[in-house]
Formats: sequence, C-alpha cells, structure tokens
Amino acid sequence: MKNAADTGTPSGRQSPAYSQSIEITTASELNRRQLMGLTAGLLLAFTIKDSGRAALAAGGPGVVAVNAFVGIGTDESITIYIGGGEMGQGIYSGLGQGVAEELMVDWTKVSVKPVDASHSWLTGGSSGISRHLIAMRQAGAVARDMLVQAAANTWGISTSLCKPVNGSVVNQVSGATLSYGKLAAAAAVLPVPAYGASGPTLTPDSQLRIIGKAVARPDIPSKTDGSAIYGIDVVLPNMVFAAVKHCPTLGGTVSGTITKPSGAIAVVNLGNAVAAVGTNTQQAFQLVNSVKVNWSIPASSKLIDSSLYATQQKSLLANGNPFTVQELGNVAAAFTAPKKVVDATYSLPYLPHACMEVLNCTVNLTSTTCDIYAPTQAPNLVLAQAISLTGLTAANIRIYPTMMGGGLGRKFELDYVTQAIKVAQAVKRPVKLTWSREQDMGNDRYRPSALIRIQCALDSTGNLIGWKNRIVSPSILFQRGAPGTSSDSQATEGSTDLPYGFGSRLIEYVRDPAAAPVGFWRSVGFGLNTFAVESAIDEAALAAGVDPLVYRQRLLAGNTRWLNVLNAAAALGNWSTKPPAGRARGIAICQAFGTIVAQVAEISATSPTNIRVYKVACAVDCGNAVNPNSVEAQMQGGILHGLSAAMFGQVKFAAGVPSVRNFSNSRVLRMREAPVITVSIINSGFPITGTGEPGVPPIAPAVANAYAKLTGTRLRSLPFYPNATMSDD
Amino acid sequence: MITLNVNGKTYQVNADSNTKMLWVLRDILHLTGTKYGCGIEICGACTILLDGEPVKSCDMDVTEGVGRHITTIEGLAPAHSSKLQQAWIAEQVPQCGYCQSGMLMKAAALLSRNPHPTDADIDSEMDNICVCGTYQRIRAAIHRAANS
Ligand code: FES
Ligand code: FES
Repeated sequence: MKNAADTGTPSGRQSPAYSQSIEITTASELNRRQLMGLTAGLLLAFTIKDSGRAALAAGGPGVVAVNAFVGIGTDESITIYIGGGEMGQGIYSGLGQGVAEELMVDWTKVSVKPVDASHSWLTGGSSGISRHLIAMRQAGAVARDMLVQAAANTWGISTSLCKPVNGSVVNQVSGATLSYGKLAAAAAVLPVPAYGASGPTLTPDSQLRIIGKAVARPDIPSKTDGSAIYGIDVVLPNMVFAAVKHCPTLGGTVSGTITKPSGAIAVVNLGNAVAAVGTNTQQAFQLVNSVKVNWSIPASSKLIDSSLYATQQKSLLANGNPFTVQELGNVAAAFTAPKKVVDATYSLPYLPHACMEVLNCTVNLTSTTCDIYAPTQAPNLVLAQAISLTGLTAANIRIYPTMMGGGLGRKFELDYVTQAIKVAQAVKRPVKLTWSREQDMGNDRYRPSALIRIQCALDSTGNLIGWKNRIVSPSILFQRGAPGTSSDSQATEGSTDLPYGFGSRLIEYVRDPAAAPVGFWRSVGFGLNTFAVESAIDEAALAAGVDPLVYRQRLLAGNTRWLNVLNAAAALGNWSTKPPAGRARGIAICQAFGTIVAQVAEISATSPTNIRVYKVACAVDCGNAVNPNSVEAQMQGGILHGLSAAMFGQVKFAAGVPSVRNFSNSRVLRMREAPVITVSIINSGFPITGTGEPGVPPIAPAVANAYAKLTGTRLRSLPFYPNATMSDD
Repeated sequence: MITLNVNGKTYQVNADSNTKMLWVLRDILHLTGTKYGCGIEICGACTILLDGEPVKSCDMDVTEGVGRHITTIEGLAPAHSSKLQQAWIAEQVPQCGYCQSGMLMKAAALLSRNPHPTDADIDSEMDNICVCGTYQRIRAAIHRAANS
C-alpha cells in the first residue's frame, strides 16, 4: 500500500514545508525476530519518508527514511515500535493512541517501545506526533483489516460480517469471537491489502474514541517511583565511570601529554577536553579536576567575547549586507511620508540549555560489538558516528535511546557520545561518561543571540502601512557547514509570512559571523523573532493610541484562525476587565511549527528585576489536540521555560570563557515565582501540529508588553533581570 | 566498610568517608532514582529523607548517614502506591520526570509535618527546580494527596 499524505498547514503560514509518503509492508522475518523475540504473530513495517526541518537541522540529507513497526503477538500483545525519543512531551502515548484507535482496542492495551537506531527519527521541531500520527493510524487500520480478513477466512464468511471489537473479531452471523492474538498467526501470512490512493479506511472524526481524549501517559508511573531509567541511570556489569574537563576557553585544545593522577583508572585526551576514569562518578569528577593540562588556545578564542559581539552586532545592523528574506508592497513609499514611525531595536542574549539531566553516555565496546546507551534526540546520527569511530558495521552496533531528562535541542548533538566512545576505546571496559553541571553549562551549543530592528510606518489614522525588520543573528546551519550563500530559515522563522496586514514589508537577515558555538534551543528562531515582532506591534499600537488587542484584531482582519486564538486568550485572561491595582496585562501571539499560541500575562513590577507574573492565560490551536492533557502540560512547561529565559537567561563570553557555570548563576523560576497558567485548546480541524515548542515564544513579549503598560517603560533587551543569581529573591 | 540503612535494608558499603551520599546511592547501591542535577545543593533533584527530614544528598558525606534511617524514592512505597504517588499520577505531573524523585521526597516530608498545607506552605517548602515547569501540577497533586 502506498499513498501520500500532505500534512502541511493549508494556511501555508510559518510552517516549514514538508511532504511525506507512507509505505506499509509485512516486516521481514529478521525484524520480527529482533523485535518480537519468540512471540509469533503479525508484524507490519512502515516507512515514512519525509523531508523536513529535523532532517535539515541535523545537516543531513533533505530526506530521511524512517521506520516503525506494529506487532500483534499470539500472546495478545499489541506493541508499536517507534524511533522517536520520549522527553516528557508525550510522544509514546500520542502515537499509541493512533494505533489503538484504528485497531479498536482500549489504548492501554498498546505498549510502545523504541526501535533500534537505524530505524529511528530525529526528535525535534515539535513534529513527533503531528508527522507520525497519520502513519500510526494507517498501520493500525491495516493490521485491523488483516486480522478481520484472517477471521473471515477462518469462518468462511465475508469480511463485511466480521466486526472488530475491543481486541477481538466478532462473527456477526454466529456471534463467535476470535481474539487478535488467536488471529495473529493467520493474519501474518496474508498479503498486505492493496488500497487505493487514499489508504485504508480510518475512523471518521466524529467517531474517534481515543484520539482527542486526555489519556494517561504510560511513562508517568515509572517517573514517580524512581524506576524510569534515564541515560545517567544506566548500569552495566563491570562498568567504570568517566568525567570530562573541557578547556575553560572555548576552542582550546590539549597540548602535550597528560599524566594520569593517582587513583585514576585512565586519563584520555579528547582533543578539546580530557577524561578521567574512576570507580564512581564523584571520584571521576574529582580526578578530572586534578588532571594538569596545558591548553593551547587559538587567537580566535579571544574573539568569542560579548563586548566585541555587541559592537559587531550594532555595526552589522547598521552597515551589514543583508539577504532579503521577504519583500511585499512598496516599503520605500510607505516610509517616505509616514505620519509616525516606530523604530525599535531588540536584543536577545545567548542562552544555555541546562537540561535537568546533564549530558551523559554509556558505552560497552568489544572488538566486534558496540552497545551505546544515550539520552539522544538523534539515535540515527549516533549510529553513524559510532560506525565512523569504531569501524564496525551497523549490524554490530546497537543504540539504546534512553528516557531523556529534557532534550531541549541539546541532545541532538554528538559531542558527549563521541567522547564516551573514545573513552571506551581507551579503557576497554564498559564506561559511563557524565558531564558535571559546570561542564554542561560551560560547553553548550548556546541559543544564538540576536539584535533585531523593527521600523513601523503609521499613517495619519495610526494604521500600519510599512514594516521593516532586520535581523542580525548567527546561523546555526552555517556553523554546521551550510554554505551561507542564502538567508537562514531558522534564524528568521517567526519574522516572515506573518498574517498581519502590514501594508508593505521588508524582512532582511544579516548573518552574524560570531564563533560562539550555537545550537537548537526549544522553539529555535521563533523564540528570537516573536519577542521583537510582538513587542513592535505593541509599540505601534501605543503610538497609534489603540488598545493592543484591538490593534492586532484590525491587523488580522479576515484571518479567523489567528483571531480565534487571540480572542480566546484575551477572554481567558479577562482582557476587557480592569486588572487589580498595581497590575497590568500584556498580550502576544505567534505561530510556530504550525501551531498558533496566544498568551495574556498579568504582572506587577516596579523595576525589571522585580517583575512578578501572577497569571498567564494561554490559547492554543494545534489543529486537533491528540491528548489535551499533554497539550496543556506542554503549554504550562513552555511558558515557564520561556519565562525563566526572559527573566534571567543569558550567557556572556569573556575572551572565550562562558559566564554560566551552574544554576547558581543561571537562575530558573521556582514554584513560588511561577504564575498560574490556564490553557484553552481550540480544535480547529486544521492538520495536527506539534506543541512541544510553540508555548515558549509569546511569553517574553507578553510580559514586556504588560511592563510597558504598567510603567511606561519599554523593555527591549532580554533578560529582564541580568546577572540574577539563585539566591536573589 | 560503612553500614547504612536504606529503605529498611542494611547495606555494607565500601566507600571513602568523604564520598557524597548521592553517589553512594547511585553508583554503589544502584538506587538510581535519586538524581544528580547540580551538585551544589540548589536544584533538589538529589533529595532523600534522613530520619524523615528532607536533605540534599549531593552535599552530604556518606558517614553522616550512619545510624540513621535513609529513605529514597525507591523506598517511598511499593509500586508507587502511596497517596502522594497516586496523586502525582492522577494529576499527570511529570514531564521529563527527572526532577520528580526529589519533588516527591520533599512533598512527602512536607505532608508528614503538615498534613493539610496551604498554597503558601507548599510554595515556601517546595523550592526544588523543575526545568519542565510542572510546578502547578505538583501543587495540585500535593493538595489532592492531602485530601485523599
Ligand atoms: S544535585 Fe543536589 S541539590 Fe542539585
Ligand atoms: S519534569 Fe522535567 S525537570 Fe521536572
């Protein structure tokens, strides 16, 4: 069976274009044995070929082939084997729901297991559920049809007289039933039915029983009793423990030889770092700190410096040679004789990821095999790296993606995996390599900084007639080898294709060549650009003397989808009522990865360092919420993550040395500082899109807009409270 | 050899006396539910109970645990059966889940001292870090456990 499903956003707005095709076949006997072991039964393999941002982000080819399997065991087990990582975003339950829906079984009957790396996909771009749900549903439907066919053959009746009900097929003539487990072996030898272009029949929306319901996530119980195994928890027999110390200056390398400190099992030169191996993690941390290293620091490292960068960004903003990202209408004319001009420049800092689980990786390497246990968002890249470092073939390497204590984009990278493989090669024993928190924060691939200027031309009635937006920011893709001969879609996402009626617009991008290492940070470019865009819209509204909600409503006239989300947030946030004394509200909206999110923040403050956010009302349209409880959780989490970053998040560089070391100087919100968040989910019927990241971008401008309303002062630079420490209150 | 009582069981541990309890639990006893997050007593991911009181195990020498009752997340209740764990599941609290062992230990200590805490009580006691932002659900789960 083969068909194409275009799950792109029909509005065409701010959703990276991708297409996908799904192919479903009976799995090979080898796959069956690998995945199901001794359990006999039906196993379907499906290949989803898609081209998309995750593939692009990884610097890989534009198209990745990914696979998943659905197995019906003769022991009545129903298992889906998928390649996406669980970081708490609910992917296991989301996709399990899809299979269960079409198999017409209780969704708790479906278990979800990870597949090996060669079949895995990249976890990111908020895409796991949205891209793969349709494939999961089709696979469930194909399995269901084959089980029904097997039952019909057994009874010698037409399939139309066989009804799948709760894990069995019912003979509607005799009333007899056969369970899926009993039918699995017979179904396994049937050919996969040939369907037309539209694929197998899926449950109509009106009859969905599981998709759209707040089902309990299967990974949660194990996260309440300590039994969930994260990468850092992996224990292998005879294992030793490694820790790393990177050159304190970014870009520096080990020079000369290093001596093994007494008590160490080994020291390993890793190029830009050293590793020490001991008998427990604490000892390894201490040992590696005691290793004397002569670092050779290239002259270029000194140029990784925040004060140099500030000057450079300003000069690029004024004089850089920009790429034109988007130009619509006559911008020059709009700015020739405007009634009013808003001209504002916004700046955003570099940011560390600081996943709650530090980077770590466990490797068991022999002369013929290599097992890698890693919390990774990119198991297939880990596999490729293991092949290149060990010289073993894919068949002899097994990657076990573990539960992740946060990924946030950092666990796309391969540095920690590479180190663990190299240490395993040196010690010839199973080894777990763990970064201390200081190493984790000090050697990140930081979210790029940005300096963004927006100029708005207003006519005599305050209407926007021209919008100029110039973005200066490093390119993540360029740092990873993209040619840099065109603009960068990730640096500019959130600035282009906005549905606002700007009259005319010019969006430009100037690549900042700063060498500070940058990477994907939850919501990527949307986090940068939404702060500037939604602040500038607010500034234009104030200049026009119009309520910021009303101003946005006018600019969005005719776009019911955005308006519905905007208005839902405004209603939930009591926009039309007067806030309590000493408080003000701000609003912001964005569409990221296809999902539209609007937020109203209610705050009090007398200075940027004592901003208190009491409430956030959030409306979200992700097409349809597969699991509304998970969508709500992702909004709550995204808002707090974005708010911590907006309030405190930053890393500065001094001659190559990053400022952040630990949570002590990289503050995050605690419970007592966290706003109460209410979430309204709008099921618009548009194609399903992800929710892991889109909750992040609007909160920073919503708070800045509230602050401007409250105090008359506009906050154009993040974070609001620089240099906060964890002990400040 | 150091003798420890963890979750009601006696263990003989071969470790230097300055080894932190966190790493004894994780790397020697393989009780990996207790997590490392910062190592400097800020995040609370490593919280355990020492004679019922919450302590951060990342900065506690293993010898300080001698002769005391140590409880880790694994010892809170069999098969996540405590009211608190059931409330955590009902409220679907964990996201990545990494901070949750520490949160649960902290909450267990709070409820044993103060069976019906107010929001303010919870906010002032529960000062562990959750990067995933599950605070609101943690608060709801503590109330749910208190009322069950
Ligand atoms: S690891 Fe102990 S407080 Fe963070
Ligand atoms: S659930 Fe992920 S850090 Fe708390």
